[in-house]
Amino acid sequence: MARIELRKIRKQWGEVVAVEDLDLVIEDGEFVAILGPSGCGKSTTLFMLAGIYMPTAGELLFDGIPVNEVEAKDRNVGIVFQSYALYPHLDVRRNIMFPLKFKGVPKAEAARRAVEAARLVHVEELLDRMPSQLSGGQQQRVALARALVKEPQLLLLDEPLSNLDATLRLSMRTEIKRLQRHTGVTTVLVTHDQIEATTMADRIVCMRKGRIEQIGTPEDLYERPDSLFVASFIGAPPINLLPGEARDGRLAVGGTELELLGAAAGRVILGIRPEALRPGEGGLPATVLDVEPMGRETLFLLETPLGQLRALLSGATAPYGAGDRTAFTFDPEDSILFSESSERRLPDVHVRLPA
Amino acid sequence: MAGYGATSRQRQRINAVLFLGPACVLLFFFFIAPVIVDIFVAFTDMGRTLRITELTTANFERMFTRDRRLAQTLVVTFMYVLATLAVFNVTFGLLLALVTTAVPERVGGFFRSVWLLPRMSPSVIYALLWAWAIDPNERGLLNQILINTVGIGPIDLMNDHPLLLIVVANGFIGASMGMIIFTSAIRAIPEHLFHAARVDGAGGLAIVRHITLPAIRWPLSFITVYQTLSLLVSFEYIWLITDGGPFYDTTVYALYVYKRAFESGQYAYGAALALMLVLLGIGLALLMWRFFDMKRLLQTPRIEVH
Amino acid sequence: MAAPATPAARDWEALARRARWRRTAGQSLLIAFLVAVSLPIILPYFWMFTISVSARTGGVESVVLWRASSVLVPAVVGFGILRIFTDDRRRLWAGAAAIAAAALLALLLLVGRDLHLQNYRFLWNPDIVEEIRGAATASIQFPSVWVAFRNSLALALTQTALVLFVSTLAGYYLSRFQFPGRGGFLQGLLVLHAFPAMTLIIPIFLLMYWSGLLDTLTGVVLVITTLELPFSIFIMKGFFDAVPWDIEMSAMTDGASRRQAFLRVVLPQVRVGMLAVGVFAFIKGWEEYVFVRTLLFDKQNWVMSLYIFWVSEDIMGVDYGIVAAVAVFYILPSFLLYIFCQKFLVQMSLGGIKG
Ligand SMILES: Nc1ncnc2c1ncn2[C@@H]1O[C@H](COP(=O)(O)OP(=O)(O)O)[C@@H](O)[C@H]1O
Ligand SMILES: [Mg+2]
Repeated sequence: MARIELRKIRKQWGEVVAVEDLDLVIEDGEFVAILGPSGCGKSTTLFMLAGIYMPTAGELLFDGIPVNEVEAKDRNVGIVFQSYALYPHLDVRRNIMFPLKFKGVPKAEAARRAVEAARLVHVEELLDRMPSQLSGGQQQRVALARALVKEPQLLLLDEPLSNLDATLRLSMRTEIKRLQRHTGVTTVLVTHDQIEATTMADRIVCMRKGRIEQIGTPEDLYERPDSLFVASFIGAPPINLLPGEARDGRLAVGGTELELLGAAAGRVILGIRPEALRPGEGGLPATVLDVEPMGRETLFLLETPLGQLRALLSGATAPYGAGDRTAFTFDPEDSILFSESSERRLPDVHVRLPA
Repeated sequence: MAGYGATSRQRQRINAVLFLGPACVLLFFFFIAPVIVDIFVAFTDMGRTLRITELTTANFERMFTRDRRLAQTLVVTFMYVLATLAVFNVTFGLLLALVTTAVPERVGGFFRSVWLLPRMSPSVIYALLWAWAIDPNERGLLNQILINTVGIGPIDLMNDHPLLLIVVANGFIGASMGMIIFTSAIRAIPEHLFHAARVDGAGGLAIVRHITLPAIRWPLSFITVYQTLSLLVSFEYIWLITDGGPFYDTTVYALYVYKRAFESGQYAYGAALALMLVLLGIGLALLMWRFFDMKRLLQTPRIEVH
Repeated sequence: MAAPATPAARDWEALARRARWRRTAGQSLLIAFLVAVSLPIILPYFWMFTISVSARTGGVESVVLWRASSVLVPAVVGFGILRIFTDDRRRLWAGAAAIAAAALLALLLLVGRDLHLQNYRFLWNPDIVEEIRGAATASIQFPSVWVAFRNSLALALTQTALVLFVSTLAGYYLSRFQFPGRGGFLQGLLVLHAFPAMTLIIPIFLLMYWSGLLDTLTGVVLVITTLELPFSIFIMKGFFDAVPWDIEMSAMTDGASRRQAFLRVVLPQVRVGMLAVGVFAFIKGWEEYVFVRTLLFDKQNWVMSLYIFWVSEDIMGVDYGIVAAVAVFYILPSFLLYIFCQKFLVQMSLGGIKG
C-alpha cells in the first residue's frame, strides 16, 4: 500500500484551470473522500492520481517519491469510473482478467484470481455474461472486481454510486466500505453527495472551484466548517445563515441583537444548524410558518426576530402546527460566525441569546 | 368531418408531390431508367450508329467465350483492387486514423486535411500532378528526388511499373475515406475505456489491439465492402493517368467497359459488360444495408398533420 | 513485465524516466511518420504552384522548388512546434509573425528574382494558349479560358442550386411525414446511395442522345444533380431529424400551416446542413470530368476540366508554365472552399455514412 502526497498540484487546459494549489496527504490504508459540487475538479484530481492526466505543476509523491511522470500503467492503481467503463467486447471474466494480462500473471492463476475477485463482490454467477447484459449495479460490481483484482496500492472511485437507484446506493455504500476494510487498500472516493462522503470516509477533502476548502473528519466539517462554503455544502437540511453586524461585544441580526462571545467586528454571517435549534423558555420568540414531516424528524420554518429559520426536531409527529407561537433557543457552542468579506470562520467566536 | 378528412387527404397528396416529386422524377430518369435501358441494350446489336437492328444474345456469348482481352482485364482488375484495398484504403486509412488521433488534435487535424486534399481537388489536376511527379526524364519530381538523394537514375514508372502507379495514385485518394470513417469511429469510443485500459496496464499497442480495433469492427467491414465497390467501378484516375496503358496493362474492367462503348463504338457490348457491374453494384449495395442503423433510419415521424 | 513483489520495491524514478522518454519519443515518431507520408501529397501541389510562378516558356527551373522548400519546410515545422508548445495567444502570434517575416525575407533573397506572373497572362490575354499551341500543332481553334470558366461556374452553380432545392424538400418530407411506402423508399434510396452511378454511364449517354440533351450543359447538370441526390437527401434528412419536433409543433399550434412552419421555422435551423450540402455539390460540379467528357463535345461547351485536360494534352511539352497556371486557376475555387468549409465537409461525410 502507499502513502500519497500531493504538493501544490495544479492542472490546467489552455486557459481553464481545473485544479490549483492542491496540498494533500493520504495515509497508507486511509479512506478519503473528495467532496464538492460538480465541475470543481474532483475527477481531475483523481485522474492525476491514476496517471491519466499529468499535473501541469506541483509534485505528486507515492511513498515519498515523485511519480508525476510515471505512466498510469506502471502505477498499480485500481479505478472505478462513473460510467464503469467495462470493455464492451469482453465478457465479465475477461474484463476482470484484463489487468492481469499486462502483469505477466499466468493464465491459470489469472483465471483463479478473477473468480476470487468476482466472489468478493458477489458476481461469480455472472462471469460468462457480456457487459451489455448486466444491470447498472452488476456493472458497478464488476468494475470494482476489475479494479481490485490486481491488488492495487491505491483504489480510486469516481462517483461510483451516482448511476444507481436509491436502495442499491445504500447497500453499495456498506459494501464498498466493507471491501475497503477487508483489503486495507488506500482508497480515494470522489463524490458530490455529502451523505456518501460522511458515511463512508475517514476523512473528507472538500473542494470548490479547483481548490481545497477544508480537510477533516466528517465531524470537523460538520461542527467546525472553515468556510461559509463548507458550512452550507455539508448538512441536510442546510444550515441557517443570517447576515449581521458585530459591534462593541454585540451582534445585530435582523431586528434584534445577540451577545457576542469572543472578539469580532464588522459585517459577519451567523450560522446555526437546524438541528441545533430546540424549543426553550425565554428563547427567541418564534411563529411557525410551515411544518414539513421528514420521517422520523420534522422540519419547522420559523419567523423569528433574527429572520426566517429552519429548525429540525426529532419525532415524527409535530408538537406545533402552522401559526403556533413558541420560543426557540440554541447553545452558544452551536453558533458559528463567518467574516462576510473573507467567508472564513471566525474561530472561537460564538453568540448567545441575551438573557 | 368528412369534408375535413377529404381536404386533409388532398393536402397530403399535394405535399407528397411538392416535396418528393422533384427527387422522384430525377431519380427515376437518371437512376432507374438507365438500369432498364442498360438491360435492354445489352440484348441488342447497337453499334457506332446508335441504331438497333435486332435483339440478340450475341454480346453475352462474346463475353463468356470469345473475348480474350476480357480475361486479361479481369486479372488486372483483381490485382489492382486487392492491392489498393489491402494496402491503402483499409490498412493505410486505419493507420492514418490511429496516428492522427494519437497526436495532439490540432496536429492530427492538419494532417487529415492534407490527406483529404487529393479527394477534394479536381481529378484532372490530380492526374496532372502525377504526370509531373513521374515524368520519366530527370525533370520529374520523383526522379529529381531519387537522383539527388538515393542516387539511382531516372525511372519510368509509367512504362515499367504501371500497375504500381495506379495502385498508389488511387490509394492516396482511397486512404482518406477510411481515415475519416475510422477517425470518427475512434472518437466515438468512450474516453473512459482508454483511461481504464491505461490504468489496467495496457501500453499504446495493447490499447489499439484491445480497445480500438474491437470497437471499429463494423466500420472496418463497411469500408472494405464500400471501397471494393468503388474501386471496381471507378476508372477516372486510371483513365487520366495511364489511359489503361501501356498496351492493356492497366485497363481495369470498368475502363474496358467504357472504352468498348465510347472508343470502339460497341455500345451494346459495353452495356452487356456494364450489366455485370450493375448487378455486382446492387449486390454489394444490398450487403451494405447491414452497416446502417436501419431502426433509426426508418423511425416513424411523429407529427401527423399535413 | 512481472510486477515486483512489493510495491515499495518499485523503482519509481526509473519508471518516470522511461515514461518521459517514451512520451517524447513516441509523439515525435508519430509526427515524423505523418510528415513523411504527407510530403508526397504536399510537394506535388507546391511543385505545381512553383511552376506556375517561375517557369518560362521552354523550361522548368526546379531550383526554385528546392530553394523555396528549404525555406518553407523549416518555417512550417517551426510554426508547428510553436503551436504545440505555446498556449499563450500573444506569444503565438508574435512567434508566427517572426517566422513569417524571416521566411518571406529568405524567399525574396533566394528565389525572388525567379518569380513572375507571366504564366498567368492567359487571364487577360485569352488567346495565348491558342498562340502557343498554334506554334506547336495546327488544328482547330481553342476557346477562351473564360468560356470554360463561365461554363464551369454555370454548371456548378446550377447543379448546387438544384441539389439544394430537391434534397432539402425531399429530406424534410422523409424526416417528418409518414406516407405509405416510406420505409421502402428510404431503403431504396440507401441502395442508390451505395450504388456506383458510374456503371450507368452508357445508358445515361443513350438517354441523353434520345432526348436531345446530349452535348448540352442542361443535360450534364441534370445527370450530375441526380447522382448527388441520394447522398445529399440523406444528409439533409439527418439534419432535419436533429431539429426538435417541439419547434415545429409550437409553430403549428401558433397557427402556421405545415408549409409555413417548414419555411419559416425549420429551414433556418438547417442552414449549416444546407451550407455543407451546397459546398459539397459545388466542389463536385466544379471538378466533374468523366460525365462532361462523355456528354459534351462542342468546344463552346467545354468546362474547366476539359479545358485543362486539352491544354495539358496539347502544350504540356511546350510550355509547362501556362499549364500550371491554368491548373492553379482551376483548383483555386475548390481549394478555397475546402479550406474555409472543411469543418462542415468533414461533418457531412461522416453523416452521409451513418445514414
Ligand atoms: N479534458 C479536459 N479538457 C478541458 N477541460 C477539462 C477537461 N476535463 C475537465 N475539464 C474542466 O475542468 C473542470 C473540472 O472538471 P472535473 O474534474 O471533471 O470536475 P468534477 O469531477 O468535480 O465534476 C471543469 O471545469 C471541466 O470543464
Ligand atoms: Mg467528475
